[in-house]
Amino acid sequence: MSNEIVNRIKGLVGEDHVVDSPAGMVRYLKGQGQPLAVVMPGSTVEVAEIVKLANKENLKVAVGGLSVESRGLDGGLAMVMSGMNQVLEIDHANLTATVQPGLSHAEFSRILAEQNLVFPPEPYAPKTGSVGGCFALGGADSQAFQYMPVRTYLLGYEMVLPNGDILEVGNKCIKNVSGYDMIHFAVGSRGTLGIFTRLLVKLLPPPAVKMALVADFASLPKACQAIATLIKRRIFPTRLNLLNPTLAARIDPGAKGNLVMVDLTGFKNSTELLAEEMAGIFHLAGSGEVRIVKEAEAYAKLWQEWLDLRGELNTTWAERVLDFNVGPMKLAAVLQALADITGDLAAYPGLVVEGLLGRVRLLLPAAGEKEEMAVKVNTLAMSFGGNVSGNFGSKLVCRAYNDAEMWEGIESLLGQIRRQFDPKGILAPGVSL
Amino acid sequence: MTDKEIIEQLKKIVGEKNVQADKIGLTSYGYDATLLSGVGLAAVFPLSTEHVVKLVKLANEAGFSLIPRGAGTNLSGGTIPDERSVTVNFNRMKKILDIDTDNFVAVVEPGLVNFDLQAELEKEGFYYPPDPASYKATTLGGNLGECSGGPRCFKYGVTRDYILGLEVVLPNGKVIQTGGRNFNSEPEYDLTRIIVGSEGTLALITKIFLRILPLPAAKKTMLAIYNRVEDASQTVSDIVAAGIVPTTLEMMDNLLINTAEDATGAGLPRDAGALLIIEIDGHPEDMDEQVETIAGICKKARVREFKIARTAAEVDQLWLARRVVIGSVARRRPSYSLQDITVPRSMFPNMVSGILQIAKERNLEVGILAHAGDGNMHPLVLFDQRIEEEVERVHLAEKDICTLALELGGTMSGEHGIGLLKKKYITLEFSPVAMDCFAKIKNSFDPRHLLNPGKIMNLQS
Repeated sequence: MSNEIVNRIKGLVGEDHVVDSPAGMVRYLKGQGQPLAVVMPGSTVEVAEIVKLANKENLKVAVGGLSVESRGLDGGLAMVMSGMNQVLEIDHANLTATVQPGLSHAEFSRILAEQNLVFPPEPYAPKTGSVGGCFALGGADSQAFQYMPVRTYLLGYEMVLPNGDILEVGNKCIKNVSGYDMIHFAVGSRGTLGIFTRLLVKLLPPPAVKMALVADFASLPKACQAIATLIKRRIFPTRLNLLNPTLAARIDPGAKGNLVMVDLTGFKNSTELLAEEMAGIFHLAGSGEVRIVKEAEAYAKLWQEWLDLRGELNTTWAERVLDFNVGPMKLAAVLQALADITGDLAAYPGLVVEGLLGRVRLLLPAAGEKEEMAVKVNTLAMSFGGNVSGNFGSKLVCRAYNDAEMWEGIESLLGQIRRQFDPKGILAPGVSL
Repeated sequence: MTDKEIIEQLKKIVGEKNVQADKIGLTSYGYDATLLSGVGLAAVFPLSTEHVVKLVKLANEAGFSLIPRGAGTNLSGGTIPDERSVTVNFNRMKKILDIDTDNFVAVVEPGLVNFDLQAELEKEGFYYPPDPASYKATTLGGNLGECSGGPRCFKYGVTRDYILGLEVVLPNGKVIQTGGRNFNSEPEYDLTRIIVGSEGTLALITKIFLRILPLPAAKKTMLAIYNRVEDASQTVSDIVAAGIVPTTLEMMDNLLINTAEDATGAGLPRDAGALLIIEIDGHPEDMDEQVETIAGICKKARVREFKIARTAAEVDQLWLARRVVIGSVARRRPSYSLQDITVPRSMFPNMVSGILQIAKERNLEVGILAHAGDGNMHPLVLFDQRIEEEVERVHLAEKDICTLALELGGTMSGEHGIGLLKKKYITLEFSPVAMDCFAKIKNSFDPRHLLNPGKIMNLQS
């Protein structure tokens, strides 16, 4: 039976685009699940045919750019989109690009740079992330204060729905309120509503000037104070990130303490003035060393290291990362209170702060502690008007309010939407809402 | 339950003062900024989330529908009731619950008027970017319902981009919070985004978490006048390509320049093809450089007059024509129908010439007002409501304009929504698969079609 299905899939996409030996499949899979085959479609029609077959035969399907999460995928199909990796169009007049979902995010950025254009979202994982994955995961990265969350860069898409239908929505207009907003609703749905087969994304012209500031702070509270001072003085750089000494050492082997990393982009006059002003603020706040990075290569290297670190947090370390948000001006107080739970944060395995967003990520010593820590940290975050992010955070908030009814309301609505789109529950079995 | 019993129950929930049930009083809640109107069963004014929950429960029990309404300034027929519906007016839930400038969040009730929020924020040096033209009257709940835009959208985005979270009452009476005070607060599916712009058909919004920003340190306003629309359009493309993102790029065509001149006598040249108001904001140190670049671009595009406002009074002077323009067409004809299409920026000149062609074919006067940076155009089709045959031609022109926008790769609603008015055209824009997705969304939230039924699309329960 399973052989017959694999043969039919080979018939749909060609033998060369199906891998069904366990040894061959390993490189495409994350986790311990054992799918029937890895399939690499080359077109929308092929994706639709595979999904229709899966529907008929009740096979689970999970999708990825280069590799696929195999949780819950036993006996199902892992769909790798790397065969659909083309840039179909770059439209300079309207500042848009049409791309296939398997296009590597890093490669896309490179192609655009050559054309003097920018796709601002930070890659989820620089080495493996695809543009399709970027939108399937959504979220807001450390540039979001200026550039807005990832979803704002999606203008339209083509998607194969769980029943094999092909949905096309969107256009090259940034203002579009026609019908329900399926465009942005799909962002962050992690492959549960359908499989992207084409994406229409918004681009920007590059900023005139880019530079970075790196400030070394022996004291974490003082680094937080410096961030607060910038916000109070209404200085909003593109990125304003903070790493504790453990992680700082990965980026800058010479770093002695906590590292504040600032990205400044914009017009020449203001950017240069702001860089000087910020350097002054950091010195006054107690930074032992402030570097202004203007040289293009050093600038690029610095932010690539940030992206690589972010990639590690999102992938290799994901099970150990606890992510929560509070307001940006509450960071100093929150971190002080957090140290009561974690002990000295300077010695902790990892602390990453996105200052303008008020986002904190803790790298826990071991994955096993996550749930217990999440409960404690969520209580703390809530006392500052924030919460642990994602569904789990939402559940914890409801639990803290003792509001079982609200949680039930959210859970049943999410489940209802998923069932409406995917009544047989074939897509993204590893994703629980 | 009889109608009388329903009204009694409504009074029990929100109090006698907060129910309007006589037919004459109800006409005030039966119309919006379109020509459509209707009379509902009653209009109620809840004062709290708890009131809204009780109203929803009663609606479920007694089988009437609920039409959420703010100030009724929408241009889509989105708040028109029918005889089996109760209008839920949110304009008595208008408290500002929190303004937290340190963390860029404001928490408000949905009946708060956009302008009233802006006035409070301004005291702290902050603002909320979405600024629909009707901001002095519109409520934020209404802005969310329609996902309103405004002149500033090109740089700052539309309503959906500034909503961090919501408290809503679902059609089953459950209260949930979506999102929160920060980015990244959403529980998996982005429920906030699907509710914003859903025209009151998915949930009743009772609390809004808004993103607020500090007022920009500097602003410059410029006025450019052209012989031809194409030149204005070229200017827009070149400014964007130069990496400058103006907050505002407002365009008026020859007909509107003339009606505005009739109304103000401001000295606009009556033979000009187009007028562009350009506004930039940002750091004071960057203004001169950008103004210089823009001046160069305008010159290259054969601008015939280019003015830079030096004082606040001059800024007002430059904006004068744009401020009066919609009212000014009343001197020409008693009624106008305001369209709301958007096309990709590169298609802007084609759309302008297409509209003028449609006007000619349908024998109508059409003036074009546009947020040119984002391709959102508001053709004003002028007519006399008392001449039936002309009204017919206006409807035909509306359809022509929507069809043309879609042909040029655009949309038939940039910021006003679909409501009742454009419902009949929606399948021109969306495939049966997309319509089926909309139905799935609606049925997930509101399987009994209790909220604003018949808006956006027709569905079988």
